[in-house]
Amino acid sequence: MSSSHEAAPSKAFLAEEVRRYHHFIVLALWLAVVTGAEIVLIYLPLPTAVIFTILTLMSAGKFFAVILWFMHLIYDKRLLFWCFLAGLVLAFATYAALLCLFSAERIDTRWFS
Amino acid sequence: MSDHAAAHEAPTSTGIDHKKLIMWLFLASDCMFFGTLISTHLLYRKLFPAGFTDAEGHQRFIQDLFSIELTSFSTFILLMSSFLMALAVSAMHKGQLKSFRRNVLGVIIFGLIFLGCQVFEFTHFYHKGLTIQNSVLGSTFYVLTGTHGTHVAIGVLWLILLYFYSFTGKLGGHMGALDVEVAGLYWHFVDIVWIIIFTAVYLVEYLGPYGIWGSGLPAVVK
Amino acid sequence: MSHDSHHAPVACKTELAPERSDLGLYRPDRATGWTDWLTTVDHKKIGIMYGAFAMLYFLIGGVEALAIRTQLARPDNDFVTARMYNQLFTMHGTTMIFLGVMPLSAAFFNFLVPLQVGARDVAFPRLNAFSLWTFVFGAFVLNASWLFEFGHLAGWFDSFAWHKALVYTDFAPANGWFSYAPLSGTFGANGQALRFTGVGTDFWIIGIQILGIASLAASFNFICTIINMRAKGMTMMRLPVFTWMTLVTSVLIILAFPAITVALIELMFDRAFGANFFNPSAGGQPVLWQHLFWIFGHPEVYILVLPAMGIVSEVLPTFTGKSLFGYPIIVFSGAVIGFLGFAVWSHHMFTTGLGPVPTAAFSLLTMAIAVPTGVKIFNWLGTIWGGRIRFTPPMVLALGFIWMFMCGGFSGVMHSSAPADSQQQDSYFVIAHFHYVLLGGVLLGLMAGLYFWFPKIFGRMPNAPVAYLGSALVILGFNLAFGPMHYLGLAGQPRRTHTYHAGNGWETWNFVATIGAYVLGIGVVIVFGNLVWTAFRGKKCGNDPWDGRTLEWSLPSPVPEYNFAQAPVVATRDAFFEHKHGAKKIGLENDGGEAGVHMPSQSWMPMLASAGFLFIGFGMPMMAMGIPHAGWLVISGLGVLFLGIWLWALEGPGGYMLKTPAPSGAPAPAETVAH
Repeated sequence: MSSSHEAAPSKAFLAEEVRRYHHFIVLALWLAVVTGAEIVLIYLPLPTAVIFTILTLMSAGKFFAVILWFMHLIYDKRLLFWCFLAGLVLAFATYAALLCLFSAERIDTRWFS
Repeated sequence: MSDHAAAHEAPTSTGIDHKKLIMWLFLASDCMFFGTLISTHLLYRKLFPAGFTDAEGHQRFIQDLFSIELTSFSTFILLMSSFLMALAVSAMHKGQLKSFRRNVLGVIIFGLIFLGCQVFEFTHFYHKGLTIQNSVLGSTFYVLTGTHGTHVAIGVLWLILLYFYSFTGKLGGHMGALDVEVAGLYWHFVDIVWIIIFTAVYLVEYLGPYGIWGSGLPAVVK
Repeated sequence: MSHDSHHAPVACKTELAPERSDLGLYRPDRATGWTDWLTTVDHKKIGIMYGAFAMLYFLIGGVEALAIRTQLARPDNDFVTARMYNQLFTMHGTTMIFLGVMPLSAAFFNFLVPLQVGARDVAFPRLNAFSLWTFVFGAFVLNASWLFEFGHLAGWFDSFAWHKALVYTDFAPANGWFSYAPLSGTFGANGQALRFTGVGTDFWIIGIQILGIASLAASFNFICTIINMRAKGMTMMRLPVFTWMTLVTSVLIILAFPAITVALIELMFDRAFGANFFNPSAGGQPVLWQHLFWIFGHPEVYILVLPAMGIVSEVLPTFTGKSLFGYPIIVFSGAVIGFLGFAVWSHHMFTTGLGPVPTAAFSLLTMAIAVPTGVKIFNWLGTIWGGRIRFTPPMVLALGFIWMFMCGGFSGVMHSSAPADSQQQDSYFVIAHFHYVLLGGVLLGLMAGLYFWFPKIFGRMPNAPVAYLGSALVILGFNLAFGPMHYLGLAGQPRRTHTYHAGNGWETWNFVATIGAYVLGIGVVIVFGNLVWTAFRGKKCGNDPWDGRTLEWSLPSPVPEYNFAQAPVVATRDAFFEHKHGAKKIGLENDGGEAGVHMPSQSWMPMLASAGFLFIGFGMPMMAMGIPHAGWLVISGLGVLFLGIWLWALEGPGGYMLKTPAPSGAPAPAETVAH
């Protein structure tokens, strides 16, 4: 459908797009900074549990930042957020359970150790 | 006046475009898909924290293979490609076709760089002794990151086709912006899956002697 | 030049001027006959095709079942070899589930959902066609394994080098419908990829993979349609329960199938490329296959049963004259069953040594899932209570569903107790359980749906006495076949064994079960024959022979291409029933008439894309057979798939305008009920 059939984007729409454009730039910088921090973090002499927790939080932060802003979810209808969250939560819960069902003590080491 | 809006332009019950809704549903499904692959890899890391045995029968550690510099670089590249994609979508919404083309070309190039890094990484690991056949680690690692790479490649192909389509004059208006936005959703998703893979497959291997999986095993001199 | 159609509205699509798509090729919109059916994107025609193929595969699966029962009628029988027996029960299960029940449910989804929500088609008509053809080609690939097997048994391949080089010569899958590793996997170090089975397993892997893609595509489409294309006033809580169950089933499909997709990829990599996902020689864990399979497999059984429950929830209110008791609770229970279905998968693995804590957890969750099911049954009983029951064939079958499914549920809850299950696992008790829920439940529910909606689909009434006879034989036959299996299982007869010795006390009931299977077979043939005959020669009927409640009954039978002449505006649940007998009328939007309504264009591209799966489906097993250059067949299949999708995207949706009859007042009131 060529754009000649439609009215040009309205002024309010354009202003909103420009604001979001600036948000994207700020977000991209933050993503770069957080990724760099993650890489520095793994070399720090902190307890493993602490590093792991911070890493998880940082990754989750990046994950949701991309979803909410780059993927527009924060600007869109809530239904889309719940659709995606359902898949995400189900995947996380199912596979966390699956990981708990396996342990190194329970495997048969006669074939391979 | 003749108002034959095509079916996909008719008003929807929720106000959300069909294509957008179906793409988010697909991404929810893809979460389960990558969840299965990632958990297979993590499961086997949990069972065999020591790593893998190479062709000569030596016990090898996964940290010997990984090059955090390379992987960090490719992670940055993918994140920046995501940024450019957001700009491309924004440009399309504003009707700025030239800006859209510049940004999409940027995404394509960064995507190809990422794929190049993946290919380099695979060859590097292969020469260091990890193959898909000689260990479980090889199988899970190559299939997981290979599947992600395939998703990236499909995304790159899609964007290349959109780039050339934009020269025909048929990409524009509300539907054009929607098509670009939907491609963007796919691309961003591929990026966030990599965010998870980068942390869960690469970074956690650097914590402790055997990575996060190694607690309980005798310490090793690195 | 744009993809919008600028044609003037036509009264019939054969009056359209030839139109080119954005690719420059003529759109097949004016087609009639075979071309019309092959390029159609009309959800009603697609539904009919799904139904026809499903009935065909039901019969094939039935023949496989009769072969099994014939073999087991006597101890130490040699009607079939042990390998053929394994192939028979594998293909019977796979065919019935993936090629019988799921497509028949899809037939109902396709035909009914747009009508029940008040739409003119689904959200993505060409994607709908793609799902159908992918299913058709996947089903063909899976059953082509039988053709290879028969060819092998007849000696046709003996002179070929690749055949002489084969270690195993089973061409049809023989590992059960669940194809457990390590039997289906590989062993040996460093990529030797030594196998235990032949090409049959590879046919199974790629066949199920292709069928999964078909189901996924269709489910995305239906969720989008139900959420996004409802008529004005059709809020979610005014939807018919069948549409709700379609929504829940589709959500289950999109969240459960990825697990089997990955599991199949991993197994395929093991067999084809020497990976080690399930290879014990390299540390692979075969039990992981079981986990991944059942993470898919358990939601799959709810995918099978929820549509039938939806059908029963439509049939019961119609033939008792009362609205469904506890509509919100039934909808909510359906959603809870779907959600909890993901939490119980290891109840199929109680005997694998999970450990006491996981076993207890899964056991409790399995018992919990019986609760929403029980709630539904009570609500159905509440619907019947105090109503004026009309014992039409659909009603008889729906009542049969309630009773028989309950029996299956009782044996199911017996399985949920892990200690009891350790005796029942791998015995005929399990077979009794799932056949009660699948035949007594799903099949009776689907048959009720067929009898209920055939008048709407074809505008002709099935012959009632024949319907009652067929239904009676089906119910009698299946009880005779599977009732005794409860006893046989607890008396120790193991499943999946091709014969048994005399002296265990199993002979009599096995023989009875075989008789029952043949009675069931005759009943099914009568029912299907009755339905097929009805489609062509049945007595014509009007739009509302049953005094129906939902929107589809307000339309002429058979339903015209455009569905609704004017888009409906509803104000209540059971809108058509209220329109006829109550105060709230169905309104009409001011569309259609001479200005026409928009119809989606037909297309060859979805079928072209699906054809790629045919090449891939044959290429993968042929690679496993060692036929040279078979890999190129796979590559070209991928090429055809991408080409088809690319052309599909480029041709543009098109569309044309169809005139509909002018509004003549309210829809016609219900006809005198035929029974």
